[in-house]
Amino acid sequence: MTQLILQSAVSGLLVGGMYGLVALGLALAFGVLKVLNVAHGELLMLGGYASFFAFTLWGIDPFLSLPLVFIALFLFGVFLYQILFRYVTRFEIDNRIKNSLLISFGLVIVLQALAVRFFTADERTISTSYSSDAFTIGLVRIPVVRLAGFVVAVIAAVALEWLLNRTRFGRAVRATAEDWTRAALTGVDVKWVYMIAFGISAGLAGIAGSMISFGYAVSPSIGLGWTLKALVVVVLAGLGSMRGILLAGMFLGLTEALAAVWVGGAYREVVALVVFLIVMSFRPEGFFGRARA
Amino acid sequence: MLAVDGLEVAYGDLQVVWGVSFEVPENSIVAILGSNGAGKTTTLTSLIGLIPPLAGEVTFKGASLVGMPTHRLVELGIVMIPEERSTFSTMSVSDNLELGAYTPRARASKDETMDEVYSLFPVLAERRTQRAGTLSGGERQMLAIGKALMARPELLILDEPSLGLAPIVVERTFEAITDIRDRGVSVLMVEQHVEMTLEVADHAYILELGRIVADGTSSQLADDPRVREAYLSL
Repeated sequence: MTQLILQSAVSGLLVGGMYGLVALGLALAFGVLKVLNVAHGELLMLGGYASFFAFTLWGIDPFLSLPLVFIALFLFGVFLYQILFRYVTRFEIDNRIKNSLLISFGLVIVLQALAVRFFTADERTISTSYSSDAFTIGLVRIPVVRLAGFVVAVIAAVALEWLLNRTRFGRAVRATAEDWTRAALTGVDVKWVYMIAFGISAGLAGIAGSMISFGYAVSPSIGLGWTLKALVVVVLAGLGSMRGILLAGMFLGLTEALAAVWVGGAYREVVALVVFLIVMSFRPEGFFGRARA
Repeated sequence: MLAVDGLEVAYGDLQVVWGVSFEVPENSIVAILGSNGAGKTTTLTSLIGLIPPLAGEVTFKGASLVGMPTHRLVELGIVMIPEERSTFSTMSVSDNLELGAYTPRARASKDETMDEVYSLFPVLAERRTQRAGTLSGGERQMLAIGKALMARPELLILDEPSLGLAPIVVERTFEAITDIRDRGVSVLMVEQHVEMTLEVADHAYILELGRIVADGTSSQLADDPRVREAYLSL
């Protein structure tokens, strides 16, 4: 029993790292542009396929293609911003959320349909020579590729936090997130910040997809499930801390895994959502969010 | 330096500024006075590029500003402090000042300007690492002015700098504004505090229901019986 609990806890934390990684990009777009992009999971799905085809067609190792996938999805994000989300950011904040929901739901349908058309509905996984490698610590077996995904998530969170807190561009992003008018009055080109932030958000989704097609699996319909997890994580963490988002992701993953052991696999998500509701009723601003004044 | 000619601004169907014209010469403090709802803030918001005007021309050193995005004006040296101040409450005092020097023209002299700002407002140096949101109203005002100075402005625009401040802080703010003018920065300010403003301003305009109804040097206006009756309650 101890072995089962420990093994589940570790698997839960590892998958929770992926929840966190997916949530980072979603939180960035929401925090800065006030755009709720429910097609974030579809961007992840595209990143997964990019990584999968780079490996199966050209034999590029998923770790090597990671920067390329980031750049490709960054550019795709910039493209989506220019043709769609740019128009949403002209609205007042409240209307941005509603309008971005409608637009991104449309995007979900289009991207899924295109993925089925071009990539087929089959589930795919990248299998390299080391894909099934694992090592054992005590009673727990840790698959190498899943650990790698977790490490990538940690690196992404730390890098994003560094970018936001230590660079001139990061200060401009935080200023825009707090109040775009004041940011403009400070000399920040708000539209440019929006575009780059949305690009980074999409790039992060791409990286997440890449690690998911490697440690888990990718198919045209995986997007929405990951988006929903990420939404729960963002609300759980509260906006403002990237490290907090990663920790909230791990918390959700761990809760689900332990629920599967103690309550039964069928109830893992139900239990996780009940825990989520309990947390929200005691700390509506999230674990790491600042209470609204 | 700044010339506004026949500015007309509307929110949707509701026009609030009707053909407003004024000028800010170099090295001077110009005030726009008027009661609530006279269109003062709207005039500023429009000339800074946040609301496109219906008609009229705004020029800075001869170049038109109409249609230019706000951040480009900051690059030209026009910096505005809005009514609710322009500090970022989630950021530290030093991050706010750092961000003030965002434009390339300001970045070159960032460290010197920061020293100047700290010597002008020593309390900001003490509160360097504190979040701006935890400052008092007066300190926030100083930070807002300090942050604006970090941008190395040639024209500083202030919307109701006295709003919500204790009288002693208002006095210090107005002293700082005079000081800034003496350093060679032109100032355009909008105020309801007519008496105090006329003491520091070189030239003032009176705005009523979206139209300029009187203008002159501060001493001319202070002696004008209509102004005395309507605004100075003398």
